[in-house]
Amino acid sequence: MSAQPSRNVVVQSLAQIGSCGLFLLTLLAAIPRSFKHIRETVRQLWFVGAMSLTIIMVCGLFVGMVLALQLYYVLSIFGGTAASGMVVALAIYRELGPVVTALLFAGRAGTSITAEIGLMRATDQIAAMEMMAVDPIAYVGTPRFLAGLIAMPLLCCVFCAMGILGGHLVGVTWLGIDNGTFWSNMTAAVDLHTDIVNGVLWKSLAFGAVVTLIAVYQGFTTPPTSEGVAYATTRTVVASSIAILALDFVLTAFLM
Amino acid sequence: MIDTVHAASAEPALVRVRGLTTVLNGKVIFDALDLDIPRGKVTAIMGPSGTGKTTLLKHITGQMRSDAGTVEVDGHNVPRLSREKLYELRERIGYLFQNSALLTDFDVFENVAFPLRQHTQLPEELIRNIVLLKLQSVGLRGAARLMPSELSGGMARRVALARAIVFDPMLILYDEPFVGLDPIALNQVLKLIRMLNQTLGITSVLVAHELEAIKQVADHIYLIANGKVVAQGDPKTIASDGSPWTRQFFGGDADGPVPFQYPAGDYAKALGFQGSNLPGAGA
Repeated sequence: MSAQPSRNVVVQSLAQIGSCGLFLLTLLAAIPRSFKHIRETVRQLWFVGAMSLTIIMVCGLFVGMVLALQLYYVLSIFGGTAASGMVVALAIYRELGPVVTALLFAGRAGTSITAEIGLMRATDQIAAMEMMAVDPIAYVGTPRFLAGLIAMPLLCCVFCAMGILGGHLVGVTWLGIDNGTFWSNMTAAVDLHTDIVNGVLWKSLAFGAVVTLIAVYQGFTTPPTSEGVAYATTRTVVASSIAILALDFVLTAFLM
Repeated sequence: MIDTVHAASAEPALVRVRGLTTVLNGKVIFDALDLDIPRGKVTAIMGPSGTGKTTLLKHITGQMRSDAGTVEVDGHNVPRLSREKLYELRERIGYLFQNSALLTDFDVFENVAFPLRQHTQLPEELIRNIVLLKLQSVGLRGAARLMPSELSGGMARRVALARAIVFDPMLILYDEPFVGLDPIALNQVLKLIRMLNQTLGITSVLVAHELEAIKQVADHIYLIANGKVVAQGDPKTIASDGSPWTRQFFGGDADGPVPFQYPAGDYAKALGFQGSNLPGAGA
């Protein structure tokens, strides 16, 4: 008796993933048509990128600070506090930077993309575009997708920079680790390819694509009601968070 | 029935609907519907709520696919058009949404300029002049820099109308254009519909329930019920054709072929009364 509902949930989940995959193809196919809406892409880049800077910078700073503090206490047991800078940098570049930035991005930009598109559908703005012979996927969907794709790596870089600054503030300025040791250990341990390209660039690109795909898909497929928009916004955060963490494991396994 | 509509007109109809059949969620919306929209006229589509009047507009504009039948607009079979051809056709059709559907990120001016910016490479000065001309025709040139949230319902409807006519379309579809308008705004919209029809020769299709307003502006009325055209004619004669449909619809009667109650089970049973338990049964 209980197998039927659980099978339905599995089938529905797989159908959603399949539908989302087809929607990705639609978004990608609309890229050439979206070039004539380049101003809209720039506007969205400002909205999802520049407007997310404050939360990314503040959170990056505090993540770096708390990381340095925790590491200092643990490493001091073994007399290895000089390695604080190195560990802060590796942790931020490889994991915390891309993952936390993506989670914040999903909460800040993903939800607003879903809510905006959902409300545009509820108020017939998407239908009005269709009636004015303007392709809503090329005008609304793809510019937001491209903006997310461009903004995420940039935001991730800002997050990493602020995280390391936070680690320096706590480790060097507050706890008295030697400034030269902090930076030299860090630069000696961080590898451009493994940590920056694989850790920051590819991961943040993948997370940016996943988060904005989910956000745009939820916006376009939600029932055009206030309740539908509310559920879609929640689904964006939940699905994005799960996708980010699952994808992080897969990418780490393959890239590192 | 259809042929009689255009007996006096040599020009073919702008919109020809033949055998349109649509089933939504198991409910038959259209059952082999036949209908013609004559060129250069104002045609009203009326009928009880839920009979598919807006759905018919969606079929005409290719927003919905039917289960059977054809919808031709200016000789093009709409369901068979490719997306590019459909978009080309839509550039020649204006659509006034019931809730105006203005783009909330843009002000009034940019809303009206939106189709021009998307489909033309006109210089900014020319776009500005066209937009101001259209806004002047709906009496809202002074509101060009207001945002949609700052407009009343009637003003938003007029801005949407200015946007719908920005390309001087061959056909305008009005979906419930009078809903929620005060008598002054309603009169203004009526005048605009008539003016656009007379001065630009635009074919107009109105979906509305306001009989008095329709009488003032429409040349021809279709009454749709049960998925078919049940009556048609000019506003003066349609109400007196004597059929039970027109008698009930135009008379506003609760009893008639259109049931007031949505289909439901036994009322007494739903209230918990069984046989002799009915109030007054034992007296």
